[in-house]
Amino acid sequence: MKILTANFVQCTVKACGSSPDCFPLHFDQQTPDLPLELAHEDVDFSPEFICNVLPRIEWPALLTTARELGNTQLPPAKPEIENPSAPENEQLLRDLHTLLLETQIIQGSMRCANCGHIYFIRDSIPNFLLPGHLVQ
Amino acid sequence: MLPTPSISNLNIERVYEPAEDSFLFLDVLQDELPFIRERFSTANAPTPLVVEIGLGSGIVTTFFQKNILTNALFLGTDINPYACSQSKETSKENGDPKYFDALRTNLLDGLRPGLVDVLLFNPPYVPDDTVPSFESAVKTDDWLDFALLGGCDGMQVTSVVLDHLTEFLNLERGVAYILFCRRNKPTEVAKLMRTRGWIVDLIEERQAGWEVLSVWKFSKAK
Repeated sequence: MKILTANFVQCTVKACGSSPDCFPLHFDQQTPDLPLELAHEDVDFSPEFICNVLPRIEWPALLTTARELGNTQLPPAKPEIENPSAPENEQLLRDLHTLLLETQIIQGSMRCANCGHIYFIRDSIPNFLLPGHLVQ
Repeated sequence: MLPTPSISNLNIERVYEPAEDSFLFLDVLQDELPFIRERFSTANAPTPLVVEIGLGSGIVTTFFQKNILTNALFLGTDINPYACSQSKETSKENGDPKYFDALRTNLLDGLRPGLVDVLLFNPPYVPDDTVPSFESAVKTDDWLDFALLGGCDGMQVTSVVLDHLTEFLNLERGVAYILFCRRNKPTEVAKLMRTRGWIVDLIEERQAGWEVLSVWKFSKAK
């Protein structure tokens, strides 16, 4: 699972849907039987592509996700980039490219801050299916 | 004719094998290519997010990645764990896009609302007494029926998606392509969805064996 995906998903429990705490899911508490494992997978870099993805991103949530995964280098506010190919923007766009598209969460768990439910990621695939008693 | 993705290692005992319905879906996307490219052409618009419910082998999403919008973001879901991993393999085999992830979930559960620009759904449309039980699938590890059986009128699963379209689609530019068979009574479904304010178009209808399959497009009136 790529880190960008963490910006697109929230807790599946119906009762959490109305809570602001259902997003983002948190990586701050991992379980010993499924330790967090990240991997790097090369993706061709395109500054324009990253620039066009930026408007979709919930920046504060991305900051939280990145911090919990050990990256504290992101700017505190969403960057506004007018010219993606300008040399002064390259490093930032490359960093975002690496974080959002090239970093794979191979395994680990995500926690809902509202209900505490844990979602597991195995073989880079997150599982959002709920046990029967949580499905309404 | 646009190339069909190659799938070398499909385990058809675990994952639904592409059949007439899948190929109709690919043909529809080919017909819709000009419309989709035009709708998402603006260079600076946020990159579109294409989401497929029920990835199966991954053939539809991969076809879209390779031929329709090569620079989009792609997510897909499947309740079948083997379909999740197979679809990632299929995507990789055909040269991954910059972004594709498979989520193991029921329909669109877990996805934040309002994100989907293009929704692709080839549902379990075959009428049956019931929809498959999750508990028994867990026990037997057999998920194939989830790709086929749609309960009453074959509409039990599709109806859930239609009832939540407003929640998941981006209402400004979102568009959904959904496949039906004649026993799903698609013209009645279209009528109902129009009363809910949707623009509904029949894109293509085709006889496939003893079934008549059709793909319909749903978007919100401005």
